[in-house]
Amino acid sequence: MTQGLPPALSVRALGLSYGATRILDGIDLTLPAGEVLALLGPSGSGKTTLLRLLAGLLRPDAGRIEIAGKAVADPGRGLFAPPERRGLGMVFQDYALWPHLSVARNVAFPLEMQRCPTAERRARVTRALERVGLAALAERRPSELSGGQQQRVAIARAIVAEPPLVLFDEPLSNLDRELRETMVDEIAALVADLKLSAVYVTHDHAEALALADRIAVMRDGGIAQLAAPATLIDAPASAGIAAFLRLGTLLPASRTEAGWTITGSRVALPDPPNAPAGAAARVLLPERALAPAATASPDARARLAARVLRVQVRASGFALTLRLAGTEHEVALLSPRPAAPGDDLELAFAPEALRWFPATDDPTDHPLP
Amino acid sequence: MARGSTTGAGGSRGFLWISALSLGLVVALPALFVVLVAVFPDLGRGSLAAPFRPLWRVLSDPALAVLLRNTLVLGLGTVAVSAALALPLAALRALFRVPCARVWDLLLLIPFMIPPYIAALSWILTLQPRGYLEQLSGVNLAGLLFSVPGIILLMALNTFPVVYFILSRNFETIGARFSDVGRVCGAGPWRAFLRLTLPLATPGIAASLLLVFAMAIEEYGTPAALGRRIGFEVLVTGIENRVSEWPIDLPEAAGLSLVLVLLALAAFAVQRWLLARRDYRILGGKPQPFQKRPLGRWRLPVLALFALVAGVATVLPLLAILAAALGRTISGGLRPDNLGLTNFAELLDLGSGGLRALSHSLSLGVATALLAGGLGAITAYAVARGAGRGRAALDALSLMPNALPGVVVGVGIILAWNQPWLPVSPYNTPLILLLAYTCLLLPQPVRYASAALQQQGDSLEAAARVCGAAPRTAFARIVLPLMTPSLITSMLLVFAVASRELVASLLVAPVGYETISVYIWRQFDQGSVGLGMAMALCTIAITTLIPMLLIALMRGRLSPG
Ligand SMILES: Nc1ncnc2c1ncn2[C@@H]1O[C@H](COP(=O)(O)OP(=O)(O)O)[C@@H](O)[C@H]1O
Ligand SMILES: [Mg+2]
Repeated sequence: MTQGLPPALSVRALGLSYGATRILDGIDLTLPAGEVLALLGPSGSGKTTLLRLLAGLLRPDAGRIEIAGKAVADPGRGLFAPPERRGLGMVFQDYALWPHLSVARNVAFPLEMQRCPTAERRARVTRALERVGLAALAERRPSELSGGQQQRVAIARAIVAEPPLVLFDEPLSNLDRELRETMVDEIAALVADLKLSAVYVTHDHAEALALADRIAVMRDGGIAQLAAPATLIDAPASAGIAAFLRLGTLLPASRTEAGWTITGSRVALPDPPNAPAGAAARVLLPERALAPAATASPDARARLAARVLRVQVRASGFALTLRLAGTEHEVALLSPRPAAPGDDLELAFAPEALRWFPATDDPTDHPLP
Repeated sequence: MARGSTTGAGGSRGFLWISALSLGLVVALPALFVVLVAVFPDLGRGSLAAPFRPLWRVLSDPALAVLLRNTLVLGLGTVAVSAALALPLAALRALFRVPCARVWDLLLLIPFMIPPYIAALSWILTLQPRGYLEQLSGVNLAGLLFSVPGIILLMALNTFPVVYFILSRNFETIGARFSDVGRVCGAGPWRAFLRLTLPLATPGIAASLLLVFAMAIEEYGTPAALGRRIGFEVLVTGIENRVSEWPIDLPEAAGLSLVLVLLALAAFAVQRWLLARRDYRILGGKPQPFQKRPLGRWRLPVLALFALVAGVATVLPLLAILAAALGRTISGGLRPDNLGLTNFAELLDLGSGGLRALSHSLSLGVATALLAGGLGAITAYAVARGAGRGRAALDALSLMPNALPGVVVGVGIILAWNQPWLPVSPYNTPLILLLAYTCLLLPQPVRYASAALQQQGDSLEAAARVCGAAPRTAFARIVLPLMTPSLITSMLLVFAVASRELVASLLVAPVGYETISVYIWRQFDQGSVGLGMAMALCTIAITTLIPMLLIALMRGRLSPG
């Protein structure tokens, strides 16, 4: 259905500096119509800045932005369309509802700006408010609503004019956890229903995985990896991304005569399919590939011995923290069976599930904040 | 926040009493006497005859009604001109990239540091016949200066920076948070400004203009220096006349004072109501960085506008003061060979009246800062943490001087303390000035200390109590140190304003005891303009530089490195 349409968004070599500081550099993105792109990255990685560039609230100093096939910013050619001429919807992190207008007037504003006739406007405002379940509160002031309700009004305002692209800037980060989880589902349903094209900024990978067709992982003002959620989980492009996504334990590995071992121990690792250059590497032991040997599938041919350190009971099973025997490294594991601290456990995994990275790929070993 | 809290209740009972007694003596007593005498004109003779006569006369006697009308003309005119000056400048400053924005801000701060009576005197020197302007350009604007529009214009030049600073911050917050959203929703820059920014800023605009109105109707120096020559009397000058010039008519002064206070109170009440309205309060969340728009081809015109306004409001008065202070004789005019430091030499001559006035005002300033600061801290604490019904009354009482013009405080103090039957009275001693200044300036430390207390919340103090501190110990060891920085800031402000206060000083200063302001005022009357302006220059320097230096020192001590 969306075939033949130009991409909802296309960004080439986009860059922005504040003074001498390069905030964003060489950003390339394409978003097919009807899809959701998540910008995922730690705080300070430039997500908001990128979104404000897309909205026209900031001027880029290099590169090109096209929205629905139309160029809106191209500093090389002196082209810059102000925000009001881009026809977007946007949901702000702090809601940014206008406190002097009622809920209905807030939502009606984009239609008013398009000179939409009154009767039609009223119908569309009602429809948008119904979509977010707030039709009954149309005449209230924003200050009379709860945080979650305010966020819904902001969403209604962003979709009411059926824009070709909707921008979300961490829309849920000011809500408490429970509400956040319901809202993720609601936004996902809304986006699918309306076949919206959207860019969704977040620092929470669960949100990004739940909502997005594609995820751009941002770091230090650049895109570290752009991939579908499944690809991102299965094949992170670097150890840093694997750490940021908390995919599992990153172990330092060394090449010995006997084959690869965990550095500083005699624990052997299965041979990598394509041997990394050099005598050292880092290897990701993905949490989802691990299982207690007793319950493991036949593919899980490799074994590691470990001792249980801590146990947390969860609704979905038992969250174990274990120490790999003969090392100081800890691994996490969700087991269907109970265990007690001190128990020895045999861990099983498929050798193909390991992900190998060059030892120098990322100076920061620990997960990003 | 503090409602229902009992953590400080034990400790603040004593504070409540200290604060209630002192406020009663310093604030309530003079105010009460103004009301009493306005209602019972013969109270001084022990009679309750002819109730409400002064009040009635103020409202019915055409000669007095003119004062009320002139006051309203002056207040509303100042508001209109202030708004016309401040609104465009604030909007430009907040929403666009104005070149040298910091410099304009700094220049527009300076009018706060020049007391209005000194500014008015400097304008007289500049615009009067054979004034500096005529010496330089051959024309004089005395016709404009000594006219009602001229007075309004000068008052607006003194007051518009208040509106400018409040509004430019207001516009900036709104521009970043609410106007940008409008742009994304399809509104052009003008529509976003008119539909979103301006309506959202309306309460702020109205509140700052009401403040200007109150400042204008309470001001003495400017209308006294300019209006008297053209017979333009307002309530403030009318009151001063009836107290200090023959025939003295205290009941009528009290009646006029009451009308003036009601006017100021109304302005403050509306202002507080506007600011407290919930609808317009900015909703939660953190603000976004905000990119100001370039001015494009409007750059130069805007730059010229800022330069013009800052030049007229700040640079010209300062230059006139400097010229007069450095001029050996006034008749000598603006010539290099007429420049010298003779005025300063005479001013600072040992045993001179100038040096005495300086030392009087500076010591009174320090004493007022200490007294008002201490009283303010205790009152704020008693109001925030205490229990009981007295708190609201105490709060209102401590903020009431905001609506009490200096001239009214002067009248109230005369009525309260200049009674022949009092066995002891501070009247005719410098203490009476301390009382007057403390009354006028008490709201500053109270406001700063309350804000600091509110920020603290009460769990810090509760934690101290749980750790075993008695209420008094918790106050002294936890609460007081935490509010000290804001308290000191407010005390510096009190010092700066008290040491140059004019009208209350003129009314209640003991015979032969001159403060800085009285000295300057009298020098002008006696024709020693140069000496007066040399004193003005010293005053501006001392009362701004000392507090600024101290604040800089405090910042240095508080921030690491
Ligand atoms: N107005 C500004 N001036 C200078 N640096 C800025 C400004 N705004 C943002 N930055 C910097 O740009 C980087 C990216 O910020 P931002 O886009 O807000 O990150 P995120 O939304 O991913 O947390 C940060 O390092 C921040 O310090
Ligand atoms: Mg952000």
